[in-house]
Amino acid sequence: MKVLNYIKNIFVGLWHLCQGMYVTMLNFCRPKVTLQYPENRGTREYGERFRALLTMPHDADNHHKCIACGMCMNSCPNGTITVVSKMETDTVTGKPKKVLDKHLYNLGSCIFCGLCTSACPTGAIRFSNEFEHSVFTKDRLLLQLNRPGSSLAPKPAPNTQTAKQDVGKPVENVATKTV
Amino acid sequence: MWSFEKLTEWIDTSLRSCMSADGALLVEFVLIGIAILVGYALLALFLIYAERKICAFFQCRLGPNRVGKWGIFQSVADMIKILLKELIQINKSDKMLFRLASFFVIIGSVCTFGAIPFAKGLQAIDFNVGVFYILAISSLGVVGILLAGWSSNSKYSMIGAMRSGAQLISYEISAGLSLMVIVVYSGTMQLSEIVAQQADGWFIFKGHVPAFIAFVTYLIAGHAETNRGPFDMAEAESELTAGYHTEYSGIQFGFFYLAEYLNLFIIAAVASTMFLGGWQPLHIPGWDGFNHVMDYIPSFLWFFVKTCFCMFMAMWVRWSFPRLRIDQLLGLEWKILMPICLINLILMSVVVIL
Amino acid sequence: MKQKLTNRFGWINENNIVENDGRLTVTVAPDKLTEVAAFLKECGYDFLVDMVGMDYGDSLGVIDYVARGADTSDLIALKTSVPDREHPLIPTVSGVWRVAQIYEREVHDYFGIRFIGNNDMRRLFLRESWKGYPLRKDYDADPNINPLPLENEPIADMDTIPVYGIDADGKETVTYRPMYGDDDYVVNIGPQHPATHGVLHLRVALDGEIVRSVDPHFGYIHRGIEKMCEGYTYPQILHLTDRLDYLSGIMNRHAFCLCCEKALQMDVPERAVVIRTIFDELTRIASHLIGWGSICNDMGAITAFMYGLRDREKIMDIFEETAGGRLMAAYDVIGGVASDLHPNFRRRVKEFIPYMRKMLHEHHLLFSANPIATGRMKGVGHLSLEQAIALGITGPSGRASGWKNDLRKAEPYAAYGKVDFDEVLRQDGMTFDRYIIRLDEIEQSLRIIEQLIDNIPEGPYAEKVKGVIKLPEGDFFQRVENARGQFGVHITSRGDKTPYRVKFRSPSMVLVEALKDVAPGGKVADLIMLGGSFDYVIPCIDR
Repeated sequence: MKVLNYIKNIFVGLWHLCQGMYVTMLNFCRPKVTLQYPENRGTREYGERFRALLTMPHDADNHHKCIACGMCMNSCPNGTITVVSKMETDTVTGKPKKVLDKHLYNLGSCIFCGLCTSACPTGAIRFSNEFEHSVFTKDRLLLQLNRPGSSLAPKPAPNTQTAKQDVGKPVENVATKTV
Repeated sequence: MWSFEKLTEWIDTSLRSCMSADGALLVEFVLIGIAILVGYALLALFLIYAERKICAFFQCRLGPNRVGKWGIFQSVADMIKILLKELIQINKSDKMLFRLASFFVIIGSVCTFGAIPFAKGLQAIDFNVGVFYILAISSLGVVGILLAGWSSNSKYSMIGAMRSGAQLISYEISAGLSLMVIVVYSGTMQLSEIVAQQADGWFIFKGHVPAFIAFVTYLIAGHAETNRGPFDMAEAESELTAGYHTEYSGIQFGFFYLAEYLNLFIIAAVASTMFLGGWQPLHIPGWDGFNHVMDYIPSFLWFFVKTCFCMFMAMWVRWSFPRLRIDQLLGLEWKILMPICLINLILMSVVVIL
Repeated sequence: MKQKLTNRFGWINENNIVENDGRLTVTVAPDKLTEVAAFLKECGYDFLVDMVGMDYGDSLGVIDYVARGADTSDLIALKTSVPDREHPLIPTVSGVWRVAQIYEREVHDYFGIRFIGNNDMRRLFLRESWKGYPLRKDYDADPNINPLPLENEPIADMDTIPVYGIDADGKETVTYRPMYGDDDYVVNIGPQHPATHGVLHLRVALDGEIVRSVDPHFGYIHRGIEKMCEGYTYPQILHLTDRLDYLSGIMNRHAFCLCCEKALQMDVPERAVVIRTIFDELTRIASHLIGWGSICNDMGAITAFMYGLRDREKIMDIFEETAGGRLMAAYDVIGGVASDLHPNFRRRVKEFIPYMRKMLHEHHLLFSANPIATGRMKGVGHLSLEQAIALGITGPSGRASGWKNDLRKAEPYAAYGKVDFDEVLRQDGMTFDRYIIRLDEIEQSLRIIEQLIDNIPEGPYAEKVKGVIKLPEGDFFQRVENARGQFGVHITSRGDKTPYRVKFRSPSMVLVEALKDVAPGGKVADLIMLGGSFDYVIPCIDR
């Protein structure tokens, strides 16, 4: 009986080993799952919400929606964002008004938590899909999001709800790089 | 079927015509040495590439694909990298033994490599005790592994080497006994003679059940002797990082690396020589037309296809199974493989006597 | 229970026993602590969930959360404090609950409280020469006090173990005991090692191939997250939770959100609750796939690891589409979820379920019956039920020992109360049970997702919250079942926009501690495999 069991165990073991080899052979013949990165540029689809780079969309007239309230700066856990504002006289009312001078973004310390975009009351900033961040020096990761000479869009800023809805649209504008 | 003997004889006669017999012999030795070393290195490059590609395919990946088309020059790039790397000296290591170890491993493997009949008439050493020679010289490698583990002043290396010592010595027995089955059947230890006897049918078909069992046990034992998964106890990368060659770098590591792959090739080559007819084409008694067609395929191609088949099996197994534990490894040898081999040997003797 | 306590201890009255949110909080003096602890254990409270060190300003203290092993939802908080900041001495409870040994080390490291009688009072995360106790409120963070060492330092403080005692005059005494004998062959496994699942350092004393003792050495990726939390607002803390146990980040975040929502007494929209549940389960599958792969990898089957990663990639793609992040999904927020489901979400999850079932079958074929694998895993690494409870080993590893501790069943949060699934239990507590239970839990997770995916209610995906979230004063504790066990969040709030103290209960820490008890007697290869079967994640320990 013992001998029979011994022989039976050997064959059962071999059978299970063969099953394992069957699975690996199955995968040997299957199409491979590797994505070849630089080749698949432009063909691989990224989730449109994929957070890779903070951007400030500008329209055709070089207008953005940032009202320099500093909510993004305050909500950021890492001090990644610095909003530099300046006082300007409003052309319509003649009163002094706070406008955006520089929206500075340190990509090197950003952790892509998304708190800034959800804090933004006007939907002026959003994350784009552009993930190719490697540069040679650290200071090239210091970006200025607003373009030179840009200004606040003249129309009343849309509220948060509508801003959130157009998160899904592709982003044409990429941050202009400083230095 | 075309024989390489014509080529070697032509070289021999032309050399003898322009110099003394001793001089010709010397030149021939040098030529053979160079040919074996170059063949060894090229085969290693091919095997490393093949292993990486096959492993990747088993894992649903593409494997190396950047250097050259389909990454075929990947192992050349690796070779250049390994040659350029610094040889790191380990503090408090036994420097002499440390350097010697890698040579032991590679010499053992090159010497075995020389004894393999690659094609009709293409065999460097053809002893009348060829099988014995292969078994003896291939176990030189374990000395190198033990030395490497002992001399590198590292605990991982030490454990790896001790494991490997126990493992190789055990599996040597099964490997030897499996080959003995064929020796008993063919009645000779000379490799060329063994191949010649398989002209009308390979031993795996001719040798009844015992030959088949011996083939399987030899593949398992041989696999264990090459220190490859699931028997890679000596390396055991998840336990001992890299086992006995943890502290090696550059070409010293390269030697271990080459030897590992070539040992795989050697085991496969011996298996195909002993069981699958070596360079003999597939002949089925009675089918003369078929046999005639088979004869047109060059003999070295037959040999390499059979060897590649055995190697593919080895890779398939390696990339499918987990590693054994050291006590299970020894248990498998002493409790399962060796009894089977012994019974098998008796069975073969009975077959031969009848 | 309240009755029992007041009957047993005459000095317990309304002043030091409070019932809050269905949970008893007992405040005791340090000299009575061991007594009460022992009584609680007698009454079945044998599972020490967590130990939270506190700096109340005028005094230092600890809060022990204990639960009944038979019903882990039944929780009691045991509070004690000492006013002496120079020599804070508290008697140990490690004699009552085994796991207290390591929790007390952690509190000692952060607050400098000496636990009398604990036989291992080394620092846990920081090095022995570190000056000051970082989580005390009067800690001086000046970098000149603890300069960054630029030279190679030997870990000299690891050879002897300090033990604190008390002499006849009530003064603190400290004795040192040696760690290793002369004939111990000590091998360092880690901090850089292919099988430590992160930067863990195990010092293993060997006798040939046999393990004699294991000493885990933490702190190589310690980031001081609990200290950082004290300076962050609540929404900002959320992103740190993803970075604890990165494989179950979404569930950790869920725990923190639940804790804040409980404190704010906020109702989360039904849609968000269901979405959170689906995401939790997807994360659990992803995590178990990695867990399955890494135990196979630790045993030398690298191919299986690749298959695990391949299948997990599908889940990551789903996360990327809806949440915008793959590993750090950053999806749950206080009051709901960060964004609505992507239109493709439902379709992709529905495609994933049959795919995963098929792959699960293949994984079983490849590995579960493989004689090499079963030969190595069966009968090895036995963790008994008593040990599991004493060590607080929750999650799949605890359930493999037969301990019913699934919070999704015991204390249904989110939508778990409404779905039908089995709590997978196994009785043997061997490595093989811990292996197979992960694959079985994947199947149960698929069942949960299947039931929910077609029943996601319509409505808002997040409750509106104020710009600045301030939690009311008090202590809040919330646990969820993450992929490795019970993940707990303790928040002490003083009504500010930043918390006063945050403590995370890491299920992984006790798993590593268990190696000390389980590994000796096995082989080196078994130790590595054991690590794989416990499936700990180091960043969760080195908070």
